[in-house]
Amino acid sequence: MYDAASIEERHKPTVTLVNRGFANDTESAARSQGLPGLRYIPAAVPCEASIMADIEAGVDGALDDIIGALTRPLTPEEKSPGGREPEKPARVIFKGSLREVNRFLYQRGWTDGLPIIPPTEEAVAEMLTGTDLPPDHLLGKLQSRMGKATIEKIAIAGVMAGCLPTHMPVLIAGTIDLLESEPGFTGYTTFGFSTGSWAPFWIINGPIRHQINVNSSSGALSPGNIANAAIGRAMGLIVKNIGGVRQGIEDMGVMGNPMKYTSVIAENEEESPWEPLHVEYGFKKEDSTVTLSFPQTYLQHWPYSADAQGVLRAVVDNTPRGMRRTIIFTPPHANNLAREGFGKEDVKKYIAENKLVPASIMRRMQMGRPPLDYGSIPEKDDELVPMIKDRRFIRVIVGGGPGAFIAHCVGGGATPGQKETQQIELPKSWDRLVARYKNVVPTYAKY
Amino acid sequence: MPNGQYQVLSPWAEADPIPFRGINPPVGDLAGKKIGLLRNSKRGAEPTLQVLENRLKGKYPTAGFSWFANLKPNERAVDHDRDEFEKWLKEVDAVVGAIGD
Repeated sequence: MYDAASIEERHKPTVTLVNRGFANDTESAARSQGLPGLRYIPAAVPCEASIMADIEAGVDGALDDIIGALTRPLTPEEKSPGGREPEKPARVIFKGSLREVNRFLYQRGWTDGLPIIPPTEEAVAEMLTGTDLPPDHLLGKLQSRMGKATIEKIAIAGVMAGCLPTHMPVLIAGTIDLLESEPGFTGYTTFGFSTGSWAPFWIINGPIRHQINVNSSSGALSPGNIANAAIGRAMGLIVKNIGGVRQGIEDMGVMGNPMKYTSVIAENEEESPWEPLHVEYGFKKEDSTVTLSFPQTYLQHWPYSADAQGVLRAVVDNTPRGMRRTIIFTPPHANNLAREGFGKEDVKKYIAENKLVPASIMRRMQMGRPPLDYGSIPEKDDELVPMIKDRRFIRVIVGGGPGAFIAHCVGGGATPGQKETQQIELPKSWDRLVARYKNVVPTYAKY
Repeated sequence: MPNGQYQVLSPWAEADPIPFRGINPPVGDLAGKKIGLLRNSKRGAEPTLQVLENRLKGKYPTAGFSWFANLKPNERAVDHDRDEFEKWLKEVDAVVGAIGD
């Protein structure tokens, strides 16, 4: 619809054919462009259609509507559209019991479906102790609604998600990461809304990992730790309530993705033989950072053996197609690789050079896809071609607990060299805050 | 909170109002008009518009058609191909776009 809006701005009338399942998204996009009257036809042509009989039936069914939209005079509302929702909702929105608050916020479409902590004045004030920035400080306007990402709204999301005040610096850095995400196809503007159900995946590096207890070890991506659970959850609420990206409307994800509830891991820097991710990306080891990507797929597999060949060959055989991939090695695997002389770059090089597919398969894999630059595909069907065109699209980190499994988070992310990592700024009272909240950890009884 | 009551702040962000604008008048009659067909990068877009062009040609033999392909996913044509896009736009009376997904 953005193309249609730019055409209307150039004084030409438009009609856009969309799949009828995307009518809500179409209307939201039109309104975001200030053109609520943009004419569109919700047609029955299937998504990504390639069967001509279906396409013909869809177009035939919509033909009269298309002609009508091209020729029918404008209604008064289309000529001069009326009002829109209030842009300054009341700051205090509701009063009620815990259950009533939860029901109210859920019914307004402001939660992720799970119960929330009520964002009272008192709770939000406590969350704001996690930053020196004032509540009305504006970080930027978050797509698609261009909602104002103020510190207070971020704190409200943090409270609702169950964050501790020591998580605020991460939420602020994460929001900046979203705001400064690469424009166009490989940034948040695509991955936040696409039919591909890409989920924000946050990697935390630096000293803050220990100060706020972000799990980098056993079950790091499982439920159980406030930081891993609540930070990712809060970022989801920020996307929803500040960015205005709602499931089934602006978020067009076909299948959805459980990683959208939360997907946060710390790198196990202490047990890694390699430089940590943020140092690789130019930060100092003592800096704390958060790195964002948008995987679609999460998979795990065994190595064929514990030596470098067995680990890397298994990675090559199991890693799926995708644009950007984070491969998480456990400390023992990483150390075995290092002992055999593999640095991070060597690991990436091995994977990129050995993930080969026959040209015939690569050709099929490209069918129907957006014409991205994967390079030319040889004519000879059995000629092997690399599936990963550039090893910079591979990210290697160390994490996870004892055991042999290797994990892959594969999907989207920034073009190498574009912004993906944000330094986390700490408030002046950081040490005091850490002392206050650091012991908020689960203690599991033996039974 | 007293009596188990919670007074909560709104999580919904403010946004600067975008003034709503009207759209352009349609062409009224397709006979003799030149219709722009704008496809995006998705698989279904091109064949959908091809079928539409054929159907409209049958109904309006004097109508003309002109294609433009914006093959950069999630980027406006005007942002990466402004000159060609605006030149094309000047030649057409109205545009039908197809979003293939």
